[in-house]
Amino acid sequence: MKKINLRGLQKYAVMFILVILMVLFSFSSPYFLTVRNLTNILTQNTYFIILAIGLSFVMIGGGIDLSVGWQMSLVGVVTAMCMTLYQLPVWLSIGIGLLVGTFLGFFNGMIVANIRVFPLIVTIATSTVFQGVSYIISKAQTYRQYPDEFLFIAKGQIIGAPFDLLLTIVIVLVATFIYARTSYGWNVLAMGGNEEAARLAGIKTKAIKVSVYTVCGFFTAIATLVMIAKSNTTNASFGPGSEFTALTAAIVGGISFMGGEGNMLGLVTGVLILAVLGNGMQLAGWGTYAQYIVKGIILLGAVTFDEFQKNARITKNRKAPNEPAHAEPKAE
Amino acid sequence: MPEPILTVKNITKTYPGVVALDNVSLSFERGEVHALLGENGAGKSTLIKVISGAIEPDGGQIIFNGEVHRKMTPALARENGVAVIYQEFSLVESLSVAQNVFLGEKGGALVNIKDLKKRAAHIFNEMKVKIDPSAKVLHLSPAQKQLVEIAKAISRNARLLIMDEPSAPLSASEVETMFAIIAQLKSKGVTIIYISHRIEELFRISDRVTVMRDGRYIDTLVTGRTDRRELINLMVGRELKEFYPKRTGLPGEVVLEVKHLSGLGDRDISFSVRQGEILGVAGLVGSGRTELASIIYGVRPKERGETWIDGKKREIHSPGQAIEYGIGLIPEDRKQQGCILNASVHFNISLSTFNQNAKFFVINEKSQKKAAAYYVEKFDIKTPSLEQRVRNLSGGNQQKVILAKTLAANTDILIFDEPTRGIDVGSKQEIYNLMVDLVNQGKTILMISSDMEELLGMADRLIVLCEGRFMGELPKEKFDQRTVIELASGHRD
Repeated sequence: MKKINLRGLQKYAVMFILVILMVLFSFSSPYFLTVRNLTNILTQNTYFIILAIGLSFVMIGGGIDLSVGWQMSLVGVVTAMCMTLYQLPVWLSIGIGLLVGTFLGFFNGMIVANIRVFPLIVTIATSTVFQGVSYIISKAQTYRQYPDEFLFIAKGQIIGAPFDLLLTIVIVLVATFIYARTSYGWNVLAMGGNEEAARLAGIKTKAIKVSVYTVCGFFTAIATLVMIAKSNTTNASFGPGSEFTALTAAIVGGISFMGGEGNMLGLVTGVLILAVLGNGMQLAGWGTYAQYIVKGIILLGAVTFDEFQKNARITKNRKAPNEPAHAEPKAE
Repeated sequence: MPEPILTVKNITKTYPGVVALDNVSLSFERGEVHALLGENGAGKSTLIKVISGAIEPDGGQIIFNGEVHRKMTPALARENGVAVIYQEFSLVESLSVAQNVFLGEKGGALVNIKDLKKRAAHIFNEMKVKIDPSAKVLHLSPAQKQLVEIAKAISRNARLLIMDEPSAPLSASEVETMFAIIAQLKSKGVTIIYISHRIEELFRISDRVTVMRDGRYIDTLVTGRTDRRELINLMVGRELKEFYPKRTGLPGEVVLEVKHLSGLGDRDISFSVRQGEILGVAGLVGSGRTELASIIYGVRPKERGETWIDGKKREIHSPGQAIEYGIGLIPEDRKQQGCILNASVHFNISLSTFNQNAKFFVINEKSQKKAAAYYVEKFDIKTPSLEQRVRNLSGGNQQKVILAKTLAANTDILIFDEPTRGIDVGSKQEIYNLMVDLVNQGKTILMISSDMEELLGMADRLIVLCEGRFMGELPKEKFDQRTVIELASGHRD
């Protein structure tokens, strides 16, 4: 769907912000603008991109999922235990991990679709459940040292490019395709745009709703596999907190908090902005805690901008010049 | 003659590319009911916003009680006794009636609830209406909410009451109550600016009518010395000829039949519609007409009864299924239920056909755009492009987009719920023409409308509902406004 509006401009605006940040940080540290550091930034954040894409399905569909952080925790410990404690084959462990993640998303989706409670509250509740389950299953232990086949996800290379980077690119392309060209993607956009109108138009909104949470769970599981392969260790505390990074990145990247629109390139840029900020601030000698403050402020700023833009768009529409005077309901 | 309460002089308001108000001057006398008439986009709402201080004009003067202002502010307007009742009520649903009536009133830090209730009861007494001051607004009907808004205005000692389409959510008897209250207020010297699309109403209550068109002041007429035809001509700026277009062809076989349908408050409703026929569904607000449509279209489950389509019994559990069986719905609330305002014309027209138009989930956008372009051309939808957001279209064009969406899904039985509500006169005509074209082409229409005149003009047959019960059926020969109103208010001969 092509749309000529502020969102289109925003796509370039966020890229512009990314470039400015990079220029700024290159002054503050000579190490920042090196190939090695930039590659690091990219590969350290692949799982955030995958996570944010999963989350974007829910958000574009008009919902929200704050439980992805604890989903990651649970998927992580289950997969790690399969490989280390139970010595299951890597492919089976990965399969179990993906299945668990998909199920957790499905679980969220069923609740959100069947009881009419704000998804925000539902997913805060389920995330607490996931937290408990994750600690109980893992017995609060750490599981490390995974087989080499598994570590390939993070360390492997295909024709010179890191495997996880390629995986991320493929996922970005697939998601882009889904929204641009598939009936499923359009159904999600329609539901996010106006659920009631979509339902009356014959779209099975309930099923679509369950599906977006399920898809989100699936992508969250992939993100988890990349994350634990990178760290080569995990316990129940790995994952929580990521939901806010992904959420912030999605909103910065132009996925509306109210649903109905968004583009994947903006989303990736959103993740990279946060990543560059983190990295740059680290190099500039700011502590981790200061970064929390900045991230929080950015989230507030992005949400404010999103809201402002919604209003601005309505005003802007008034000003559309080549409309017949007839098509002017707002001036009335 | 006493000086007018309010005079606006040479008010101009432009938005880039659009002149919303073009040098408008007019006066409002004390204690008159002054109607504002004009199509959508004529500038009525903009004028009201200027008067109430919601927007600042580019130029001109606003003279309140002889005092000249360059612009109003909401506070200044309130000081001058201006109160506005918008179509969307500005009540706090979770608070009580009394709290709402005195909301924003300056007082001490402590609120004396008892006193509020007493004063609210007093106001309602004077208005001669029964509303419990301790009831929550949430539980009130639209009509009662409007009375609370009026009470709010009275509590603020309003001298100039502006009412924007006040009769839209009301049933016939509720409109009468409102008229009585307006007459009371008028006798106390309150000036009322009354905006309505229903021209008949203006003749009932207004003293003068000002007609606006395309942001310009056209004329002010004494209501008693004009007629409907003159007003419409002034409004649209041209002669409107035939309102309800001629029909060709005769109705065919029965295509839709419902038997003993019950649910959502409707009880035991049976009727049938023939191909190429327009069956009107009459009734007051709350008579269960929209509910009937919801059940047939599968939006909400029925309790009992059967739906037969083309002679076959069908169970419809979802709108998707209804569409499969060839039933389409053009819902009552265009913006909330009919379309996705932020999405493009093309996206909206395709809305019901995403799945049909896809092979292995991949959408054939080309064929979709072709279909959308076809309808834009066929229905003469005024839009700069297929990519334009539906939000930017006028009400009439939005309605055409919704109709295109419904037809694109290959539906033959169309349920129109209030097809022309809030649509200006010129576009209404277009919608009527389209509807008649459709039945002439063999489609079937179930038409729900609160606009009695349009219903009698368009329908071939009428069924009348009252409080969820089937009151009767009238063939075209027996169409008569009085009979219908009698039936709709529960009186059977």
